[in-house]
Amino acid sequence: MTNDPTTLPAHGDPVLRVDNLVKEFPIQAGLFRRQVGLVQAVSGVSLDIHEHETLGVVGESGCGKTTLGRTILRLLEATSGSVTYKGESVSGAPNSRMRELRRHMQIVFQDPFASLNPRMAVRDIIAEPLRIHGESRAVASARANELIDAVGLLSDYGNRYPHEFSGGQRQRIGIARALALQPTLIILDEPVSALDVSVQAQVVNLLEDLQNEFKLSYMFIAHDLSVVRHISDRVAVMYLGKVVEVADRDSIYDRPSHPYTQSLLSAVPVADPNAERNRRRIVLEGDLPSPAAVPSGCRFRTRCPIAAERCSYEEPEMQTLADGHEVACHFPLSPGESLIEVAAARGR
Amino acid sequence: MTEPVISFDDLSVSFPTDDGMVRAVRNVSFDVEPGEVMAVVGESGSGKSVTALAAMRLHPGSTEITGEVRFGGRDLLGIGEKEMRRVRGNGIAMIFQDPMTALNPVMKVGAQIAEMVLTHDDVSKKEAWTRAADLLESVGVPEPGRRVKQYPHEFSGGMRQRAMIAMAIANGPDLLIADEPTTALDVTIQAQVLEVMKTAQEATGAAILLITHDLGVVAGIADRVVVMYGGRVFESGSADQVFYRSQNPYTRGLMSSIPRLDAPKGERLIPIPGTPPNVLNPPSGCAFGPRCAFASDGCHEAHAELMSVGFDGTHRSRCHKLAELPDLFAAAETR
Repeated sequence: MTNDPTTLPAHGDPVLRVDNLVKEFPIQAGLFRRQVGLVQAVSGVSLDIHEHETLGVVGESGCGKTTLGRTILRLLEATSGSVTYKGESVSGAPNSRMRELRRHMQIVFQDPFASLNPRMAVRDIIAEPLRIHGESRAVASARANELIDAVGLLSDYGNRYPHEFSGGQRQRIGIARALALQPTLIILDEPVSALDVSVQAQVVNLLEDLQNEFKLSYMFIAHDLSVVRHISDRVAVMYLGKVVEVADRDSIYDRPSHPYTQSLLSAVPVADPNAERNRRRIVLEGDLPSPAAVPSGCRFRTRCPIAAERCSYEEPEMQTLADGHEVACHFPLSPGESLIEVAAARGR
Repeated sequence: MTEPVISFDDLSVSFPTDDGMVRAVRNVSFDVEPGEVMAVVGESGSGKSVTALAAMRLHPGSTEITGEVRFGGRDLLGIGEKEMRRVRGNGIAMIFQDPMTALNPVMKVGAQIAEMVLTHDDVSKKEAWTRAADLLESVGVPEPGRRVKQYPHEFSGGMRQRAMIAMAIANGPDLLIADEPTTALDVTIQAQVLEVMKTAQEATGAAILLITHDLGVVAGIADRVVVMYGGRVFESGSADQVFYRSQNPYTRGLMSSIPRLDAPKGERLIPIPGTPPNVLNPPSGCAFGPRCAFASDGCHEAHAELMSVGFDGTHRSRCHKLAELPDLFAAAETR
């Protein structure tokens, strides 16, 4: 089973280490595209992903989760910070070495309609990375056929074109292409969000099977917390460019320490009318602040029901709690403590 | 028994396309009672949105439409455009997925709401603006007095959704049709908007026809549920009947394929094999037949009728194997 913790290495170097990664985008305006500001989409993120592990990354739109994935693979160049793959610096790798490293680190995109070349047959789409990396046409084609089979498509689909396929089938094609170079790490950016509910489960199961078969590590980026809980071993929660909490999947869902994690979880609708009737939902006030004008101190404080004065001038450092949660909050919730009650006790 | 707010009676909708006729909705019948939340659930191509758009008569001219949509004692499909315009907004109001499709980007938000008020009520312009601010306040827009003078682009996504709800309830409609109202929103904003919809409904007494693919949203807000697949109603009943005592293989399959937040560690999802039917070339017989674990030869020959489950007629399901389903479900559980 994918999620059996005994299969995870307790020690050893991580496959991927992200250290204090920052990605800024300039805000340009006017005729001469003068820079008038900066957006920090990713703002000092540090994470590890171990062998055969799935790290879920969740957050709402604008939290920087997609930019994080792309910056790790250097599809976007980082502003600062470092990414290491099995001890080797990805950030400093020259282009020739980077091409080699990309064999090991692949990405699957959200939109299965935009990420496949409509003019290429499916077999050629899957074989393309192999051809780029110098395999002969025959070898690449044979490998593509194996992959078509591995992702559960019929073998004669290789001659067809993307428009002939449904969303779920296209996502399988995208996954097959990502697997072509036998990577160890795949960044999955919202891989099932565009799919119908009944088809999502097929792709989630496929990803789990492939992970076991090829000993893959996943970074699973998504906004759907139920899917993330299902597939992940550990979960990182992001808010406005920062990781606010990281913990094991059960632990973070059962005992969320950060007020944002608890609010996010309480907002997820559950397909169970009785559970919905009995639940106390934390409805956060207001909207996500603009990433171009982040609040001082703790970025969540403008919506946090228990924010204190300290939160407005001092940015919380990431700390490790007794139960193993890493959390960036001045007033983390203890296990079993409810944000609603804590807020009520403080008269809010 | 009170009169339903709206009755769909044997509604069928077809569109001509370059590739042939698409029969998007087939013989759909259901009622929405006053003050209730009725959810129509389905995946892409199920016909759920087309059903709702037919009620508002918001479909292209080339559409072939049969059956009746009864509202306020008349068939909406048979009345003139002028009369229909009076129904829209006053009798039935719509909440869309993307608020920017409903809001005019070059008009102040207050002016748009005031315009709605003025078409219905004979009040002064000043009075209409005051009402606009009150409406914004009632849907939880802070500083309504300042916000009425802003343009839609100055509102965030969640606030725009609120402004659209304010517009929709401006004339106290009997029915609100909400087409995927929270799909484009983040979960924390989605929770706010659902709360606002509930509050607005309690304040106005309007019934809500909610079109969505999200079973979580349905569980949180719906009194009754219609499950659609391949253009047909596959199951209908109270939320409890459909969620806890479903008598339909498709509904069951849908429920077991969604990951649950409270699922035990390591539990594997049970997907429905295959893909939703091709609307241009639907399977013969039961639309779900090719994906159904319980289908036999007869299922591929003709589609089943929607039949009552139980005795009070509140729970209905479309399946050839209705009588055997309890045993089939039980056998599948133990496998």
